[in-house]
Amino acid sequence: MLRTGEKGQREATHSPSNCVVFSIGGRRLAVKTLEVAGISPWKPSIPVGSRTPFITSVVRQDQTVLPVFDLASLLRLRVRGNHPLCLRIKHPLGDMVMCIDEEMPVLHTLEPAAIQAYRGKDIPAEGSYANGLDEIPILAISQLGSCMK
Amino acid sequence: MSIQEQSASAPSASSLRRFLIVTISGRYLALDAGSVGGVLTIKELESGEDPAIQGVVERTISLVMQLGSSDVPTHPTTRVVLLADREMRGSIRVSDVHGMLEIQQSQILPLPPHFCGVERHWYQGMILFEKSIAMILNPTWVLEMHGRSDAGQERETPRSSVDAWAIGVSDGRTC
Repeated sequence: MLRTGEKGQREATHSPSNCVVFSIGGRRLAVKTLEVAGISPWKPSIPVGSRTPFITSVVRQDQTVLPVFDLASLLRLRVRGNHPLCLRIKHPLGDMVMCIDEEMPVLHTLEPAAIQAYRGKDIPAEGSYANGLDEIPILAISQLGSCMK
Repeated sequence: MSIQEQSASAPSASSLRRFLIVTISGRYLALDAGSVGGVLTIKELESGEDPAIQGVVERTISLVMQLGSSDVPTHPTTRVVLLADREMRGSIRVSDVHGMLEIQQSQILPLPPHFCGVERHWYQGMILFEKSIAMILNPTWVLEMHGRSDAGQERETPRSSVDAWAIGVSDGRTC
């Protein structure tokens, strides 16, 4: 049993990870594909008076109202393009959305060996990978928002 | 004034709730009908002889100022919603009054748990309205602001709320 479990863990560790790579203000970021609920054109958000850092508006998608996490503000960047996109992510408290650059996100497969610790402190990240000279952080979605412990 | 009524669903259940839908600077807000004492214009309020209403008139606040968006112009035709909650009374200036909306309790959406600040005290939920949403204002919070204003803390309260809304406006983009 132990050996089986160990083998399974090793397999999981060595299996490639799929990420969606998107950009905000031209800066590239990644999120695990399993944590992406969808990508759609951005619709204007509805401001909600709020003291929760970076969660101060909502968007309506048909009969659903989703909170907006303002990742651009967190990064002190401006979303680029006239037709930004809406990245819907799966958060432990429920889905929320982020406004991202109009540049279409791409799927990226990462070998476990390519994932390293993220050296930056600006955003919560599970790790990062190198893309040329760039270090692309892989967002720790569950840590976005101050409600999370 | 007459208030146009509209029904969003068949009034079959006993859990019907009624809200007055107003706009402040383009943002829809819902006020529980039970806390609404009336809707008058400033001209009507000023010409009234009821001393109780006069007292409320003097304490009319612009919720816009509290929420930090552009102000509702004050002229004779500006609408004022009279509010009452237990022993507290007050009034707010609004840009527009859209009418009374009757909905099932189940149609009220909770504020998403992602919002974890004091705003949870400001709002009692959300209503899908037209292509947008209306935030259900907590009348107790609004009237408490009256109380604080009366106590001479007018500057402090709006500033903190303004900050909150300023964050919501973000960098001026639509997203």
